[in-house]
Amino acid sequence: MVALAGIVTLLLVAVLVISALVAILGNLLRARKLANLGFTVFCIGGATLAIVALAAILASLLANGFSGINLAVFTQDTPAPGSQGGLRNAILGSIAMCFAGMLIAVVVGILAGTWLAEYAGRTKWTSAYGSVVRFINDVLLSAPSILVGLFIYTVLVARGVPLLSFISLGHFSGIAGAISLALLAVPVVTRTTEDVLRLQSRQLRESGVALGAPLWVTIRSILWKAASGGMITGALLAFARISGETAPLLFTALNNQFNGLNWNPADAFGLNGPTANIPVVIFNYALSAYDDWRRLAWVGALLIAAAVLGINILVRVLSAEPKRS
Amino acid sequence: MTVVEPVETYEYFTEDVPNAKLETKKLDFFYGKNKALYGIDIGFKRNAVTALMGPSGCGKSTLLRALNRIYALYPGQHAEGEILLDGENILDRNQDLGALRAKVGMVFQQPTPFPMSIYDNVAFGVRLYEKLSKADLDNRVEESLRRSALWTEVKDKLQTSGLGLSGGQQQRLCVARGVAVRPEVLLLDEPASALDPISTAKLEETIVELKADITIVIVTHNLQQAARVSDNAAFMYLGRLIEFAKTDRLFDNPKARRTADYITGRFG
Repeated sequence: MVALAGIVTLLLVAVLVISALVAILGNLLRARKLANLGFTVFCIGGATLAIVALAAILASLLANGFSGINLAVFTQDTPAPGSQGGLRNAILGSIAMCFAGMLIAVVVGILAGTWLAEYAGRTKWTSAYGSVVRFINDVLLSAPSILVGLFIYTVLVARGVPLLSFISLGHFSGIAGAISLALLAVPVVTRTTEDVLRLQSRQLRESGVALGAPLWVTIRSILWKAASGGMITGALLAFARISGETAPLLFTALNNQFNGLNWNPADAFGLNGPTANIPVVIFNYALSAYDDWRRLAWVGALLIAAAVLGINILVRVLSAEPKRS
Repeated sequence: MTVVEPVETYEYFTEDVPNAKLETKKLDFFYGKNKALYGIDIGFKRNAVTALMGPSGCGKSTLLRALNRIYALYPGQHAEGEILLDGENILDRNQDLGALRAKVGMVFQQPTPFPMSIYDNVAFGVRLYEKLSKADLDNRVEESLRRSALWTEVKDKLQTSGLGLSGGQQQRLCVARGVAVRPEVLLLDEPASALDPISTAKLEETIVELKADITIVIVTHNLQQAARVSDNAAFMYLGRLIEFAKTDRLFDNPKARRTADYITGRFG
């Protein structure tokens, strides 16, 4: 890895020096073609660097993680050092918390985005309130995830807020984990929903209303449908973002040696207690002194990367221009 | 609200329409504080086509958009005066806007098919206000598509997306969608301006056929189109109704100088 990083750095320096030289030379000779060439080389170099970095990450993940993938990874829980095991509890926990988080985020985000796009501008007061919501949403969009984790920890795990302590669960739990993930996904969903709804033509909105449909029916059955591609894309991108988050889960879901999940709604599907998840397992195992744990950490990292890559490819496919019949 | 009326006086010639389906009385319209219509008095003849003409910004679309109160979507816009549909003032505060718009349909300049199948496009408005059996709904969809002259082109692909049709077909789909709810009035806002000549001709035929039982108001920039399809025609300028008469009379023998200038292309 060190060698690869060295090569990448060397490549960067070389590209910079060469393109600078070419640009200066081009200027001196007043040869616009040379300057153009230099700029092109610079751009290609930048693009190459980005791809090389990504490829290096994927290559090292594959090299270290692929050999560790076997059936036990999916069928056995995280092991004690030196014993056989897999990542079943962490995979299930991650999936459960991501889905629960996305469920919250999609409902809240789509409603909030719809309100901002369709209703906020209707009066002076709602419009002002809408601006505040939009601003705070944009701030949340780039909020460090560790802050979100700490916030949920204070409110839901530690009884840290005096007047709100009655809503606190008082212990680490998958519910708190899901909520902190939701908090990270809500701004993404809100923003994309508002943006894609604003892209819909005024006449489309009016033609629903002109048939006698109330505005909310028009929004629900026509605008949401027309904007569904963009809204699904936004939700999937949010999903991709939260699926690899570690910081918010460290303070909320923590970890669990076993799979606590079940199908019992009364037990919150087992999310009521500390819940295993891939990012925190990676965090713990990668720093451990045990070879088998570190191998599992690589496998977990590979699984997450594959999931995120898969989601992004799915987004590409879904957001592709629909073909005319 | 104080609005300064332009001092310039203008000559105007209008005719009464006895037993009009829809008529406006002293209709003023405001975009926020800007007045866009000044005391419009016009009657739309029952089961006939009335064309609204005039240069850009004359208020013809504004007038059309007042007739089904679509402007109510935008909080800053409001109308004063009266708009009578069969004698009832639709500007009344208690007017049910959904019911009004089911009676007074609208087709827009750009085709706006909904992102759903051709069948569902046509059935959308019907499902809002009527509970029809599958067979009755099928019949209604077919009848509407036949009336808008689209049936033969789409009858084998009713379940495909309305977005896959050509521009002219999409616009006729929008007409079918508007006709399907059996409106009493249909408002057309430059419906052919985005269409090619052949699609325009088909749309015009459709309009003429629809007036058998629908009162039609059409805004158009195209004078030939107004002459072809309309029974009555109105010429508007700067938010005022300048001349309103039978279409033949308006084109053959315009009484107002501005109308004559506009019709002969000398407007400037």
